[in-house]
Amino acid sequence: MCSVTHHTTSSTLILYLASSPMILLPATLAEPQHFSLWERLLIVGLAAASAFLFWQRFGVVLDKILHSKKDADFRLFPIGRRIFDFVWEVMCQAKVIRQRPLPGLAHAFVFWGFCAFVLVTLNHFAVGLGIGFLDPKSIIGGFYFCFAAVFALACAVGILGLFVRRFLVRPRWLGKKLSYESGFIALLIFVLMVTYLASFFVANASPTATALWWIHTLALLTFLPIIPHTKHLHLVLSPATVFLSRGGFSKIPPLAGDEDFGLVTGKDLTRLASLQAYSCVECGRCTEHCPAANTGKLLNPKEIILGLRGYLNEFGPASDEPLLGKYIAQDAVFECTSCGACEYQCPVGIEHVPIIVGLRRGAVNTGAWEDDHGGKLFLALERGSNALGISAGERDKFIQKQALPIFDGTQEYCLWLGCMGGYDPKGREIVADFARVMEYLGASYGVLRKEKCTGDPVRRLGNDLVFQQLAEANLEAFAQNKVKKIVSICPHCVRTIQDDWKEYGTPPEVEHHSEFLARHLSQLPLVQSQEKIVYHDPCYLGRYRNTYEQPREVVERAGGLVEAPHSHERSFCCGAGGGLAFLGEEPGERVSHVRARELAGTGATMVGTACPFCNSMFRDALAAEGEGVPQLLDIAQLTARSLPSTESGSAG
Amino acid sequence: MKIIVAIKQVPERDAQVRIDAAGNWIEETDLQWALNESDAYALEEALQLKEKNGGEVVVVSAGPERVGSTIREALAKGADRAIHIDCDDLNQRDALSVAKLLAEAVKPESPDLVLTGLQSDDLGYGQTGVILAALLELPHASLILHVEKTTTGLHVKRELEEGWFQNIELPTPAVLTIQSGGSKLRYATLMGIKRAKTKEVRRINPAELGVPASAMVALERIAQPQKQKSTQILPGSAKEAAAALVEKLKFEVRVL
Repeated sequence: MCSVTHHTTSSTLILYLASSPMILLPATLAEPQHFSLWERLLIVGLAAASAFLFWQRFGVVLDKILHSKKDADFRLFPIGRRIFDFVWEVMCQAKVIRQRPLPGLAHAFVFWGFCAFVLVTLNHFAVGLGIGFLDPKSIIGGFYFCFAAVFALACAVGILGLFVRRFLVRPRWLGKKLSYESGFIALLIFVLMVTYLASFFVANASPTATALWWIHTLALLTFLPIIPHTKHLHLVLSPATVFLSRGGFSKIPPLAGDEDFGLVTGKDLTRLASLQAYSCVECGRCTEHCPAANTGKLLNPKEIILGLRGYLNEFGPASDEPLLGKYIAQDAVFECTSCGACEYQCPVGIEHVPIIVGLRRGAVNTGAWEDDHGGKLFLALERGSNALGISAGERDKFIQKQALPIFDGTQEYCLWLGCMGGYDPKGREIVADFARVMEYLGASYGVLRKEKCTGDPVRRLGNDLVFQQLAEANLEAFAQNKVKKIVSICPHCVRTIQDDWKEYGTPPEVEHHSEFLARHLSQLPLVQSQEKIVYHDPCYLGRYRNTYEQPREVVERAGGLVEAPHSHERSFCCGAGGGLAFLGEEPGERVSHVRARELAGTGATMVGTACPFCNSMFRDALAAEGEGVPQLLDIAQLTARSLPSTESGSAG
Repeated sequence: MKIIVAIKQVPERDAQVRIDAAGNWIEETDLQWALNESDAYALEEALQLKEKNGGEVVVVSAGPERVGSTIREALAKGADRAIHIDCDDLNQRDALSVAKLLAEAVKPESPDLVLTGLQSDDLGYGQTGVILAALLELPHASLILHVEKTTTGLHVKRELEEGWFQNIELPTPAVLTIQSGGSKLRYATLMGIKRAKTKEVRRINPAELGVPASAMVALERIAQPQKQKSTQILPGSAKEAAAALVEKLKFEVRVL
């Protein structure tokens, strides 16, 4: 803690350091003696060499980014969101701090220290050339140098903390190999700060002041060329990456033209993708939260981004070399559940999901991906109506058995069943219970006679052909049936209808049943149990839709809400997303088992879900855990329990 | 190797089929159409042969305008070009009449191999391919699961009953009717669809082929199948019953 006070009698500022014992510093920055012409020439020469070495590498990187394909969907406007992201994520370091408070704060101190140092550094060189513009003895200069000193101290402490973390604590997501370059950079930053602070303690124009000036200068000039050669490139690039990011969580860009099949070769890499690849700071937050990386799979989101960088370094953006190969493994790309935890965590604005889906598009749209289960899913959706590959007649039978009203354009809501709600036994139970709640509330609703899959699994697996067919067929059916408002039990359907279909038309308004239920809670009977219910945030409801509180309100009305260690935006995937529910066995440990164990470990007697895919995954995973595991119900089922019993029984 | 694949467009598997007013055909409006399943396997076999040995795959299909979508699907999956025999009266033609159309279209191509599905999913005659072989005066084999090119001709794997298979050698040119399930079908890709746009589809009508609209067999009446449920108890110990069940699932229900 420091405070700066203005000394009344002179322009000297006193810097009080609130440490014990409190010390009083005469806080005037010492400047070196005037330099001779030769010395000035040496300074200019060294600075030019440093700048040259910086540009030698940075120019190449910039060239690779600018020679990548233009992002066809890029729009600078609305610019407000970009400015907000920039101020919040870059200037305030909000994401860096919020998601990892201690190292985040240490990083923020280093960042803010650098910001405060811009003026100091400019003046530093100006002094060397005899044209210093900030006089330490002036009020403004004196104040600014003290102000910067506070930041310098915080920065020195911060970088020391980060050094200790990287070399002594060594969290595993920073990678197995120690990065000595990071150590060297930390040393340089430390030297910069210490030489600056030390200048307050030496006499003006003394040989020591000159020596400190030179050490500071040499540290700076060494630092500059290192930046573009290392992950410290993020210093230069990441502010731009955050500002220019596509925005909208996990947004999959439309294909541009007849020759765009996704990310196939270097020629398909867009400027945003290349910029993001070079911006990666290798902090490993993505890896730390990745369900695949945490269950022993090949996929590591950080390595995907670094793989792109490696590719760009070797082949460049004009290459015909396939992207999946030397640097990125196809298997890894198809292990992603598209849960978006990586993208959510990334502090430098990298959008992992569009890149991973882009690579899948490249493999699927060209037929390079061969997978028995995947092929079966695609064929089921090419020809049939649902991802489960079941005859559409089975859905008709379910609707008849449950006597669900058919949507005829007069009702307020179209109740969308989805593949799980229409064909999966457990999904049908959820739909049946949600329909009971709607009946009780007197909501007018109906179900469509025919539905086709929204295309969520094929969209995330990168099959644009089938996705387009499904989206167009459904949009047409909605238009024909005059559907205005949809409610669905499946967050995947909700997301796909609301966002992904926009590429092919204007979808109706759509909401998730948690939102519907939360809105009507006061009209439902209050039958609270003492049961402890742990709520699992589905990725597509939480991170994708920002709906965290409504399902919790529903759960709290049914019993006592328990939070899992990973909850809200840090929720851990059930393993079903990204089409993976249909891909069969997974290498390593099953994601669903890891999550189910975590949920059961909370001591709750009930697991509350809000997604039929999560429900299906946990059904199997909890069963595998054996005896004494919590029960499993969707929030619609938790709500329906409070209704007066009717004879309507089991669905399915 | 030049391979011709004769394909048929049939109602989609999930389609709600209704009988038309005349009572001898189905209502075709509002129906969704798809490639006949065993024809899809014939196409897959042809594409795999081409990938291994090089050559050309030409699809030929008879039917009205709507057949175009199925032809494009075949081109998207990798066929090189197509012949569309444009006829609106396909359902009034019997297997012989359709085989004549196909034979006339195939002859000028002088292919090394003609493949087609074992039978159609709608009419299920199982005759067209065999008659086609007779009309072309070529050797043929039916119920084929797998085809391999050898130095002298072809090596094929035929499905017999009760889980038995027959491996035989055939000279080329030949006609084979393909059984479903022999290989894994490839999915249609966006790139395939885009590339298919520039592929040649030659349209030709029955008159040009010199085949009149005649039929020796006519459909009198069609009816919806009667639903019936039957339960079968498999006797024996759990182990025996399980073995019998696996047998049935494999060879009767064909889901394993």
